[in-house]
Amino acid sequence: MAFYFGLLQTIGIHTLLGLSAYVLLLTGQLSLAQVGFFAIGAYVSGILTVIFEYHIVPGLFAGALAGGAFAFLVGFPALRVKGLMLVVATIAFSEIVRLFFFNLNWRVMVNGVEVGPDSTQGFREIRFYAANGWDTFDVVLFIWLFVIVVMAMLWWLDRVRAGATLRAVGADELAAQSSGVNIVAVKVTAMTVGGVIAGLAGGLYAHSATYVDHLTFSVLLATFAVAYPILGGLSSVFGTLIAVIFVQGILIEGMRFLGDWRNILFGLLIIVAMNFRPSGLLDGNVLSRIRRMIGHGKPDGGGRHA
Amino acid sequence: MLNLKHVLKPAVWAAALSAMISPALAEETILIAGWGAKSGPLRSFGVNSEAVLKAAVKEVNDSGGIMLADGTKANLEYIYFDSACNAEQAISVARKVASETRALIGIGPTCSGAAAAMFGVFQKTVGDDNDTGLQFPILTDTAVRNGLAKISQWTFRNTPNEPDMYDKLFAWVAKTYPDLKTIYGGTETDQGHSNGTYSRVIVQASKRYGFDWATGDIEGVTGDLGSGYTEVLANSSNWLMADTNFSVQARAFKKSEADIYIISSHPFTTCGMLKELKRRRAEPKLLIGLTSSSSAEVMKGCAEAAEGMVIPTSFAPITPAAEKVAMLANENGGDADLHSAAAWENVMIIKQVIESAGVENKPETLMADRRKIRDGLETLERTEGLIGQVQRVQDEGEALKPYVFVQAMGGKWSVIHDPRSIQ
Repeated sequence: MAFYFGLLQTIGIHTLLGLSAYVLLLTGQLSLAQVGFFAIGAYVSGILTVIFEYHIVPGLFAGALAGGAFAFLVGFPALRVKGLMLVVATIAFSEIVRLFFFNLNWRVMVNGVEVGPDSTQGFREIRFYAANGWDTFDVVLFIWLFVIVVMAMLWWLDRVRAGATLRAVGADELAAQSSGVNIVAVKVTAMTVGGVIAGLAGGLYAHSATYVDHLTFSVLLATFAVAYPILGGLSSVFGTLIAVIFVQGILIEGMRFLGDWRNILFGLLIIVAMNFRPSGLLDGNVLSRIRRMIGHGKPDGGGRHA
Repeated sequence: MLNLKHVLKPAVWAAALSAMISPALAEETILIAGWGAKSGPLRSFGVNSEAVLKAAVKEVNDSGGIMLADGTKANLEYIYFDSACNAEQAISVARKVASETRALIGIGPTCSGAAAAMFGVFQKTVGDDNDTGLQFPILTDTAVRNGLAKISQWTFRNTPNEPDMYDKLFAWVAKTYPDLKTIYGGTETDQGHSNGTYSRVIVQASKRYGFDWATGDIEGVTGDLGSGYTEVLANSSNWLMADTNFSVQARAFKKSEADIYIISSHPFTTCGMLKELKRRRAEPKLLIGLTSSSSAEVMKGCAEAAEGMVIPTSFAPITPAAEKVAMLANENGGDADLHSAAAWENVMIIKQVIESAGVENKPETLMADRRKIRDGLETLERTEGLIGQVQRVQDEGEALKPYVFVQAMGGKWSVIHDPRSIQ
């Protein structure tokens, strides 16, 4: 079962990464900075557990806070621009972060072994789980605890005024502003929350993979981060989860047996999925049907069907 | 009408004969798993490794299979996965192979970064009950970055020792070309192997043998491994693996007026850089390359521009065995080079270990068999390589492989110096 538990770990971590972009997408912002916050969370939590021998929980929280702090700082200047300019600005931020870790060399002796980030050679042996007797199932439970908490919070957010405000800004910024919504505050808050979630995901990734280097935090991963919520649909927080399962579970793992054809089909199936479901795999229509099926939705047209 | 007696008689004789000749082939095959980059920019590495692995498995089976503990013989079977050059995928494949298949050992992955991550999810110290890492033996053929195998006692490598290779190379260059005094170089900085070998190994080796950096001394470089490596990178003219334009770098190389150019990169950018150097008529007295570039890809991509380039390599078709592997690799759609040829050696090592360790190859003994193979790998002191004996470095799970120096001449790699007799 180790393989399936490992796959669940990957799905959980990528779901968190996708959700960090989902929060921003709700406000209409397309950010490729999530991978930068992910990298910050990975290195900060890894350094704390490996060099300072912290327990993973404070390590993860520190990574999440660091991701959030940088997101907050980036939020103000970056959100002065919109659309494609924001994409460019956030790519630039992620590249700065990547190049910082590319050059970071902080090697110290811990218990007779030299550990820590070694610039281009990467940061090895972030082995908190295995070294402390956690088996793959324990790690799955640990990661999914965070995934469930974050999803529950975002699900709840979508049902209160704050969520409506986020969507209002995303739907029509000018109208929201005319209604008295503080656009800058909403966007910076969304960026910060996204940064916290990405930092948390990064910390979980570093401990799951046991190794990080600058190549991990490429533009490709940043693209995946925004692709998950777009592919899954922004109507519900569950769309991101479904997209991650589709990409990681089906396209990457499920089609591995196809060998060389896997990569061709990978792109093709995403194009097909986006063509058949342009609003995402879990769009508003599907959600309405699901709600009706479980008896929670309001009937369409205001009347009971014959 | 069919005479039953006529049918049965030869069958009985055949059965009796096969029982007399040798222990019968077991129904169950011995499964080994390979994985590497079969997609992305390093795809050729995985293709080459699988081609050689396939040939080696056939060779073992053609020679009668592998003797198990009970005296029966079993054929070898392999499965090969694409793990790209990606840490998550390499870990995932390792978990899949270890938990979902009856494979006794794995060979892979291609990239050092993926290997560094993958090795980290294995149990660090054998028998440590508190460590829940994977307990599955690995014998890596390709990932060559220095010192990876010691991450776990379950991971072993049959990859060349670059610090030793470049030390001997510069000793030879200093002796063979006494007029050459200055060096200059560059690397693809985003690749840990190219970058690390260049900045921590190659430039230091050149320093040890009295070569000067063409644009002035580099602070901190003493000749010790890794000394002043950040300054080495800062004083070099570098590029990235995805780069397609090398004009700035080539201009810096030419401007340095160095006697020796060092180009530490994988075949794809090596060719790009060499072509740009040729276009600019930059003509060093000697070109030195990274081990990974001593491959067919360079000859296919830029033989003319690479003319004269010298590289140390642990594989060249200079023995009958190596010639045979090179031929078989081609027949299977790949090329044998210092990385892929190790897959052949690994299969032969695995055969040797299985036969000496008393592997039973039964479902109920799977974990015990894997442990026996791991222990067997650890006890090896020497193995037979394609160009000579390979020494095992026991406490690190690494190998000291024999090597030669090859030079690009007329569209192929030719051996210009063979230090094996000196070692």
